[in-house]
Amino acid sequence: MSVDYVLMKGNEAIAEAALRAGCRFYAGYPITPQSEILEYMSVHMAKRGGVFIQGENEIASMSMLFGAAACGARCMSSSSGPGFDLKQEEISYLSAAGLPAVLVNAMRYGLGDGEITAGQDSYWVSTRGGGHGDKRLLVLAPASVQECADLTYLAFDLAEKYRNVVEILSDGAICQMIEKCVLPEPREHDMNKFDWALTGKPREARKNKAYNLSYYMGYEAYDRYMREKIESMFENEQRWEEFMLEDAELVLVAYGISSRACRSAVRQARRDGMKLGLIRPISVWPFPRRAFAGVPDSVRGYVSVEMSITTQMGEDIQLATEFSKPLYAYLTSKEIPTVEGIIAYCQEILAGNIKPTEVL
Amino acid sequence: MPVFRKPESIINTAGYCGGCGHGVIQRLIAESIEELGLQDHVIGCVDIACSFWSQDALNFEFIAGPHGRCAAVATGIKKVRPDATVYVHAGDGCSYVIGLSETIYAAIRDVPITMVVVNNGIFGMTGGQLNLATTLIGDKTLSSKAGRDPKTMGHPVDMLKTIANCDVAFAARGALYDVKHIDETKRYIKKGFQNQVENRGFSIIEVLSPCPTNWKLSPVDAMAKIKNETEKVFPVGVYVDRGGKD
Ligand SMILES: Cc1ncc(C[n+]2csc(CCOP(=O)(O)OP(=O)(O)O)c2C)c(N)n1
Ligand code: SF4
Repeated sequence: MSVDYVLMKGNEAIAEAALRAGCRFYAGYPITPQSEILEYMSVHMAKRGGVFIQGENEIASMSMLFGAAACGARCMSSSSGPGFDLKQEEISYLSAAGLPAVLVNAMRYGLGDGEITAGQDSYWVSTRGGGHGDKRLLVLAPASVQECADLTYLAFDLAEKYRNVVEILSDGAICQMIEKCVLPEPREHDMNKFDWALTGKPREARKNKAYNLSYYMGYEAYDRYMREKIESMFENEQRWEEFMLEDAELVLVAYGISSRACRSAVRQARRDGMKLGLIRPISVWPFPRRAFAGVPDSVRGYVSVEMSITTQMGEDIQLATEFSKPLYAYLTSKEIPTVEGIIAYCQEILAGNIKPTEVL
Repeated sequence: MPVFRKPESIINTAGYCGGCGHGVIQRLIAESIEELGLQDHVIGCVDIACSFWSQDALNFEFIAGPHGRCAAVATGIKKVRPDATVYVHAGDGCSYVIGLSETIYAAIRDVPITMVVVNNGIFGMTGGQLNLATTLIGDKTLSSKAGRDPKTMGHPVDMLKTIANCDVAFAARGALYDVKHIDETKRYIKKGFQNQVENRGFSIIEVLSPCPTNWKLSPVDAMAKIKNETEKVFPVGVYVDRGGKD
C-alpha cells in the first residue's frame, strides 16, 4: 500500500489534523507565529460543515469556544505569547466545568510582546498555568510536522477521555517548518454522544448544566474526582522518546525545536567519542518522570537544553531524578541551539569548567 | 376568564432578594418561551452574577461562564446548535461594562440570539458598586460614596443607542414599575424570541430593574426611583426594529 505524503507547515498540519479528528469549531485571534492555523481554518472549516469565527480578541474567542465545547462540539483555538495569556481565564472555566478542548500555543520568545520568532519560555505558563484554581492541562510538545499532526489528532481523544483541556505546545520554529507528513484518517465526531453536553433538552428530560462541577457534585466528591483524574492522567499519559541512553555520560533533555539539534549533537558527539544521550519529553505535562527511571549508572549529569533565560524544565528534571545528579542548563534564549554549541557546552561540563545550575 | 398561573418552566425558587426585578424578568422570559412553544429546546446563558440564580429556577439547560462573557458564550452555542433557542439573561455590568465588547460584537455579527439585559444601575452580586455605564449622576454606591461625579467617573451611557449603530434585528428598553410597563417589556422579550424563531438576527431587550438591596430602598421606593429618575436618562421604547426585511 502506498503512503501518501504531503508537504506541509507545522501550523497547517495541526489545523488539518484537527479537522480530520472531527474538530468543527474554531475561534481565534491572529498572532504570529501561528496565524496560519486561523487562516487555514477560515478556508477549510466551512467545507467540513464546521464553524470558524475570527474573534474580536482571545478572551471572546475562548468564551465562544466555551459555549461550543459545552454543546459537545470538538473545539480548537490557538495563539502565542501575549495572546495565550488572554486565554487563561477560560482555561480555568473549561477546567471547572470539565469541558474538553484543544488549544495550541506556538511559543514566541520573550516577555511582553517579545519577539515573533521561536522560544521555549512559555513552558511554565503551559505546564503550571491555565488560570487560577487547581487543575492540570495535558500538554503535548511536537518536534516535527508529523508529530504536529499526530499529537493534535490524539489530543481530541485525550481531551474527551479526561474531559480536560489539552494543549499542543509548539514553537515558532516547529510551527513554521515545512516537512513531509502523513495525515491521519478523517473521522466524524458525534456532538450528541455525551451524557453531559447541552443539547437543549425537552421538558421531561434531565437537564445538563455547564458550570462548576463542584456546584453539582459537592466539594468532597468533586475533589476526589479531580484528584483521581489528575493521578490517572499522570500515570497513563507520560510520553517520551529516548535516544542513545545506553552508556551515556551526559543526558540531554529537550523538547520541541531544541530536541532536534540535541539529537544531531548526540550523534556527532558519539562520533567524536563523547557519550551523550537524549530524553525528549513528548508530554511536558505529565512530565515523563518514568523516562528517568531507566537511565544507566554511567550518567554523570543532565543537561536541560531550552530557549529561555533561566531553566524552566530543569525543575521537572530535578523532580524526576530526585536531585540525584547534577543538572546543567544550556540556555540559548532567542536563538535555536546549535549542534556545535551543545557539544562545546557538554565538553566544558566534562572538563569540570561549568557549575551545575542552581537557579530553578 | 383568563387564569393566572405560573409558567410550568419555573420549577424552583430562585435566590433573588425580595423586590428584585430579576425574578420578574425571569418569569417574562419563561412565559414568552412557553407561549411560543419553544420550551423543549432551550439553552439559557446566565452570568456569574445575580442572574445566575435563574439556572436553578428554570427547567432549561443552562451555561454559566466567565463574568461578562455571556454574549460570546451564547454565540458559540448558537453557532453549533442553531436549532436551539439560545438566550442570555445578564446584568448591565456583564453586558455593558466588563463584557461590552462581547455584547457589541454579538450585535455586529448579528447572531440570532435573544439577549435580556437587566439595567439595575449597580453591581448587584458584589454588593453594590458603581456601574460605569448605568449608575446615575449623583447616585451613591459602595465605590462612589459621595455620589457619581461625572468629572471623574464620566456620564452614564445609553448603550442601546450604541447598539443601534449596528445592523441588529431588534433593540428595545422596557421597565417594570407598573403593569403597563411590565406588559410592554413582555412584548419586547417575546418579540426577541420570535425573531430568533424566524432567524432574523440579534435581539436585545434592556429592562430597567430595581435592586432594592443595594439601592437601600424599599421595593416600592425603588420602583418610584426608576419611574422618576432612571427612565429620564434611559427612555423606554423600541430603538431598532428591522422588521421582516429578510
Ligand atoms: C473576571 C471577574 N471580575 C469580577 C468578578 C466579580 N463580579 C461578579 S458579578 C459582578 C458584577 C455584577 O453586576 P451586574 O453584571 O450588573 O449583575 P447584577 O448582579 O447586578 O445582576 C462582579 C464585579 C468576577 N466574577 N469575575
Ligand atoms: S442584589 Fe440586587 S440585583 Fe441581586 S438579587 Fe438582590 S436585589 Fe436583585
